[in-house]
Amino acid sequence: MISKFASRCIDINTEFCPCMLAETNHCVFCSHLKGEQVCNCNWAGSCILYEKQWNSKKQDLPGEEPKVRIEIESPLSVKTEIGKNTYRLEFTVTPELAQGLKKAGAFVFLRRSGDPEFYNFPVGIMGVEDVLVQVVIEAIGPKSVRLLTDDACSPIIVRGPYANGIFGQPWIDNTKSSKVILVAGGLGQPPAMPIARTLVSNGNQVTALVAPGRVGRAFIESELRGLGVEVISIPSLRQNGLPLLRQIFASEEQCPDLVVSAGPDDQHYALIAAMQAVDINLPMAATNNATMCCGEGICGSCEKLTRDNKRVKTCKVQTDFTEFICD
Amino acid sequence: MVKVIVIGGGWAGCAAAIAAAKTGAGVTLLERTDLLLGTGLVGGIFRNNGRFTAAEEAIAMGGGDLFVAMDANTRHKGVNFPGHQHASLYDVTTMEPLVRKILQNYNIEVQFQTRVINTVKFGKQLQAVVIDGNEILPGDAFIDTTGSAGPMGNCIKYGNGCSMCILRCPSFGPRVSVTAKADIKEIMGQKSDGTFGAMSGSCKINKDSLSQELRERLEATGVAVIPVPASLIKSGGLGKKACSQYALAEYEANIVLLDTGHAKLMKPFMPIEELRAIPGLEKARYEDPYSGGMGNSVRYLGIAPCDDSLKVEGIENLFCGGEKAAILVGHTEAVVTGLLAGNNAVRHCLDMQYLKLPRSLAAGDFIQHVHEQMETLEGIRLRYTFSGSVYFERMKKQALYSTNRAEIHERVANAGLADIYNRCLV
Repeated sequence: MISKFASRCIDINTEFCPCMLAETNHCVFCSHLKGEQVCNCNWAGSCILYEKQWNSKKQDLPGEEPKVRIEIESPLSVKTEIGKNTYRLEFTVTPELAQGLKKAGAFVFLRRSGDPEFYNFPVGIMGVEDVLVQVVIEAIGPKSVRLLTDDACSPIIVRGPYANGIFGQPWIDNTKSSKVILVAGGLGQPPAMPIARTLVSNGNQVTALVAPGRVGRAFIESELRGLGVEVISIPSLRQNGLPLLRQIFASEEQCPDLVVSAGPDDQHYALIAAMQAVDINLPMAATNNATMCCGEGICGSCEKLTRDNKRVKTCKVQTDFTEFICD
Repeated sequence: MVKVIVIGGGWAGCAAAIAAAKTGAGVTLLERTDLLLGTGLVGGIFRNNGRFTAAEEAIAMGGGDLFVAMDANTRHKGVNFPGHQHASLYDVTTMEPLVRKILQNYNIEVQFQTRVINTVKFGKQLQAVVIDGNEILPGDAFIDTTGSAGPMGNCIKYGNGCSMCILRCPSFGPRVSVTAKADIKEIMGQKSDGTFGAMSGSCKINKDSLSQELRERLEATGVAVIPVPASLIKSGGLGKKACSQYALAEYEANIVLLDTGHAKLMKPFMPIEELRAIPGLEKARYEDPYSGGMGNSVRYLGIAPCDDSLKVEGIENLFCGGEKAAILVGHTEAVVTGLLAGNNAVRHCLDMQYLKLPRSLAAGDFIQHVHEQMETLEGIRLRYTFSGSVYFERMKKQALYSTNRAEIHERVANAGLADIYNRCLV
């Protein structure tokens, strides 16, 4: 089990690297591509400067343009209200996009067909079955309500795949045959599903604390049980969950190897505080709740400051959540 | 026990490790790849011109282990080739295991595939180095012998791209400078036109790919000088070479091959079809860098600012050797600076006065002269070696060049430094 992991762009070594940031010399990784004189990257197995050079050679060839995210129009096949202002949506995508969304931490941008691009908002994936994608949205803002204005299942625009939905992804991927506590609260429930699937398939013993949160319903419990996860239903994280967690963290027998927090940032901070209260420091993966507009590192809306005074574009960069300054 | 950590297992790092171990300190050598010697795995030339003097000085000072090993593993002795006299050529294909054995005999702990990626610093003191995978290794003194070549991003920016050289960055991860990670601003060497870096100056050709006649000649005499067909001669390539001792007109009109186990071609790179236009090389192919047809590694992109005791400026317990210590070229130069860095690292831990080599010795004058020259605009654009170019000229002028063993040993004795590296300090 790795206690620390390097802060790295999630798109490195994928078809989406080098991206527009490399193109404009603002790569978050390569020192040359942010204006420094010599190599000073946190080596991840390939050289982005090199990739960029080869890519620019390819651009002259038809059909070899740099890879960009897929944007497709798809009708909503399911739209069910599952809680207060909360809807489960299902829609089909291309097999290629579906493949890209099968990883824990994957998300897409959605908007209503016909709306301008600035209506895009990020939504974490709950599940993918063949080419059918399942998400849950809370329709409370000007962007999300646009998807629900029609009674009929009107077409939406899906853009993806994006990958950086969880801070601490390396822990999710590399924790094997260990004890894991998964805390899912409110709208943290949908992204908790793919996380649970990955953890279970890696032979981990997963205990999930599920709280209904503002949604008012713990709607993933039966699905989690179906995976073989031990589910503890708690009416309120603050009142029942945190005391229970402190108890678990303090007990030598029950103390997990990894904590996963799927929910709002307040929940992440509460879990950190609970660990501190009993003087332990476990690795913690946490869902990424940053406000995002473009998902490509360009707009800057998702930028967060870390304790060592670095600005992190959270739509792309993997960082330990505990590194962020509480805002 | 005093604990010295050497980062980088090239010739300089090996020399530093040995020098520190000889004083009685505990030494750990961290090497990024799975082999010692770094570019020494493809070098081979020593004892040519002033390098003879420098090697004998090191032997007289008690730091001769590596030179003795090179001598013992020599394919050819007393080779003369354009601009160079009495060169020895060690066999690059069999040198590494010998050096490994020497380090083992000195109880030096060598950790292979251990890449340092960061430092832990407190004030002006290095406390530890961080290894890829986040293991933290504390020590009392550190020696940065990570070199100044590569990695690929630098080779593409300042050269012709990764040419798949012996440094093998893609496989083992790139070199990381300890000095730079300790927040010390490094110096960058320049080419004669003012651009940064310089390209390594030689390639290795697979000997079996040469014509039988040429191979036999090379193996018998150690050297082959072959005129380049007039249609292929270009000018202007010499200023780019790292090894200015081979940046001579003879090397444009001829190709010079040396037998170091491979056929060492004294050119930074040469397109394969041009190479194959030369008689005897019709079937030639490269051994190192594998893409010697298009380029070579780029070096001098991170030199530590240091004083003549080789202590890095700004850090109390960080020393440096080899290319890290100055714009110098060659194994002999690496070993000589490595020895000094190793000895001084231990002296730091024991609160002793640092060893500084006097100007009456070639090595002392070399270190001081190069450091002085690096302050100047012209000086930073040159490379320095005992074996040629500006420094060999100076050596001759200052009467430091000698091939008389007794005389060199006497100079060392007169400086009060006989066997200095063999003294137990701890």
